[in-house]
Amino acid sequence: MNLVAFKILLHDKAKYVALVLGVSFATLLISQQSAIFHSLMHASTRDILEANQADIWVMKSSVETLDQGYPIAELSVNRVRSVPGVQWAVPYYQSTAQLRTEDGRMKLVQVIGIDDLSMVGAPQEMLIGTLDDFDQPDAIVMDIAGYTNIFPGVAPQVGAIVEIGQRRAVVVGICYIGASWSGMPRVYTRRSLGVSMARETLNPVTYVLARAASEHSPEEVAKQITKATGLKARTRAEFMDDTRTWILKYSGIAENFGITILMGVVIGVAIVGQTFYMFSVENLKQFATLKAIGINNWVILRMIMTQALFVSTIGYCLGIGAANLFFAMTSTQLSGGLRGMFMHPLIFVGSGIFIVLVTLLACVVSVRKVLTVDPAVVFRG
Amino acid sequence: MSVICKDVKMAFKTAAGSVSVLKGVDFVAPAGMLTMLVGPSGCGKTTLISLIAGLLRGASGSMQVFGHEVSSMSASMLVPYRLKNIGFIFQQYNLLAGLTASENVAVPLVASGFDWPSALAKGKALLDTLGLGAHANKLPSQLSGGQQQRVAIARALVHSPKLLLCDEPTAALDGQAGQAVMTLLRDLAVAEDRAAIVVTHDPRVYSFADRVVHMEDGLISKVESVSSQKHPVDPHSTSH
Ligand SMILES: Nc1ncnc2c1ncn2[C@@H]1O[C@H](COP(=O)(O)OP(=O)(O)OP(=O)(O)O)[C@@H](O)[C@H]1O
Ligand SMILES: [Mg+2]
Repeated sequence: MNLVAFKILLHDKAKYVALVLGVSFATLLISQQSAIFHSLMHASTRDILEANQADIWVMKSSVETLDQGYPIAELSVNRVRSVPGVQWAVPYYQSTAQLRTEDGRMKLVQVIGIDDLSMVGAPQEMLIGTLDDFDQPDAIVMDIAGYTNIFPGVAPQVGAIVEIGQRRAVVVGICYIGASWSGMPRVYTRRSLGVSMARETLNPVTYVLARAASEHSPEEVAKQITKATGLKARTRAEFMDDTRTWILKYSGIAENFGITILMGVVIGVAIVGQTFYMFSVENLKQFATLKAIGINNWVILRMIMTQALFVSTIGYCLGIGAANLFFAMTSTQLSGGLRGMFMHPLIFVGSGIFIVLVTLLACVVSVRKVLTVDPAVVFRG
Repeated sequence: MSVICKDVKMAFKTAAGSVSVLKGVDFVAPAGMLTMLVGPSGCGKTTLISLIAGLLRGASGSMQVFGHEVSSMSASMLVPYRLKNIGFIFQQYNLLAGLTASENVAVPLVASGFDWPSALAKGKALLDTLGLGAHANKLPSQLSGGQQQRVAIARALVHSPKLLLCDEPTAALDGQAGQAVMTLLRDLAVAEDRAAIVVTHDPRVYSFADRVVHMEDGLISKVESVSSQKHPVDPHSTSH
C-alpha cells in the first residue's frame, strides 16, 4: 500500500511542492544559521587556532577572552620555561594599532608580534612571500582580507609602505587567515617590531605560549605554571572555551542566533505541520474510503508515515544542499566575513534528525484526524 | 444464506437528545438477488446499510451477514470482515484521485495481500471485460461520472465479495449514464452466492431490482418482488 501512499502524495503536485519547499526552507534556515553561529564562535578563537603549536596559553590573571590580553613582564617567559614539564615557552604579542597609508588613510589593525626565533604563531598559509621575509627590515605580513580592506581595488602585492603607530612598515608578504571575531585587518610582524608599533615600553608580552613535554598532560602543566608563576595558564581547549563563553555572555550573539534558529524551528513546524495537516485533511475522504474498504489503521498509519518521511527526506536534502552550496560559494572567498565558514557534521546530522521529528510530529497531529475519521462518512456526499 | 436483519433499532445522540432513526427494522437481502432499498430522504436507508457494513455501531437487534453476526464483532474484526466480504459503491464514486482506473481497481486486492503487479493485471483484465480497457490508465479526473462509477463497480467486485452495498449509485449521473451503470451492476453484481443491496431514490432504476424494499420513518413498510422478465437486459450495454 506504500505505492498507493506515494501516488496519493504525488498526485497534488502543488501541495507536494509546497510541502517539500516548506521542509527545505526550514532545513535551510536552521542548518545555515546554526552553521554561521558555530563558525562565528569558531572564528572568535582565531589566534588560538592559528598558533596551533602551543597547547598552553599563559596570561595575566584578569584576562577573560583572547582579544583582551594585557601586557605582562618579559621575564614571565623565562619563569614559565623553568616550570617542570614545560617543553618550550615563547612570547607572543598582540595589540591594536593605528595604520596609516601613504595617502593618509587611517585604519585600526590587529598587530600580532611573533617570537623572532621560534616563529610560533606565524601565519600558516602564506599566499605571497615566505616566513623568511619576516627578517627583512620593517617587515609586516598582512592577511589578504585586511589588505583588500586597506587597499581596495589594488591587486594583492608586496611592497606597500605604511605607517603603524608612527613606525614605518613594509608589506613583505600576504597570508590567508580565516575570519576573526573583531574582523580587523591583521598585521603579523616580529615581536620586537610589533611592540614598537604599539609603542609598548614596559611589558612587551601579551601571552606566553608553551608546550607541555610529551610525558605531561597540558592540563597538569598549566596548573604547575599557575602555581609557580601566579599567572593564569589555560590549555588551548580551555582558552577557546573561555573565549567563546565570554563572547556568548557579552555579545548577545547567542540570543540573536537563538532567535533566528527558533524562528526556523517555528516556521518549519508551522509550514510543514500546517501543510501536512491540510494535506491529510483534504485527503480525509480518500483515507475514509480505504478504511471502509477494509484497510486497517496500522496500514494507513504506515502510509502517512511513508509520505511524511519521503517529503522530509527530499526537503531536507534540498535544504541542506542549498545551505552547503551557500557555504561552498562564500567560504572560499579570500575576504569578507563569511570566508572560511563551514557546517559542522553535527549540524548536518542534527538538523536532519530535527526535520524528521518535526515532520513526524506534524504527521501525528494529522494522523489523529485520519485514524479517528468515521468511515461512515463515505456514504455522505 | 444472505443478509438477515431482525428488529434492528438505532438511535443517534444529538444536542436535542436521542433521536431514534431505525425503529425495529426486519430486512432480508437474499443471495443471488438485487435488493433495492427505497424510501424518502431521512428514513434511515444509509444508516441501515452502514450498520450492515459494520461502519456504524451501536444498534440493537440482530444482523446476520452470511452467517456472521455483525453486531457482536469487535472493531478490529470488522476491518478484515469488510475487506473480505463487502464491496462498496458510493454516490460520489470515491476513487483515489492519484491512482489510474486499473490501480483503483487493484486496491482491494493489494490490501488483501496480492502483490502490486498481479493485482494490477487483474484490475486491468476486469476493466477489459467491462469494456473500459481503453480507460485503464486514465486518472479519475479524466473520466466521466458514469465511467468513474463503472470503475468503482469493478473495484467493488474485483475481490468477489459476498455482499455488495451501493448507496445511491446513480444519483450523481444523468439518466443515460445511470442506466448504463445499473445495467453493469445487474450483469456483474448478481451472482449465485452474492447479495446486492442498492439504496436509491431514483424510480427510473427500480426495474433493475429483483426485490424492492420500501422504508419509511425507520421501518420497512412494503416489500415488492419484481418479476425477472421485466429486466431490460441488453447484452451489449456494457460497451458504451
Ligand atoms: N451521525 C448522525 N448523527 C445524528 N443523526 C444522524 C446521523 N446520521 C444520520 N442521522 C439522522 O438519521 C436520519 C436517517 O439518516 P440516513 O442518512 O440513514 O437517511 P437516508 O434514508 O439515507 O436519507 P437520504 O435518502 O437523504 O440519504 C436522518 O434524520 C439523519 O439526520
Ligand atoms: Mg442516504
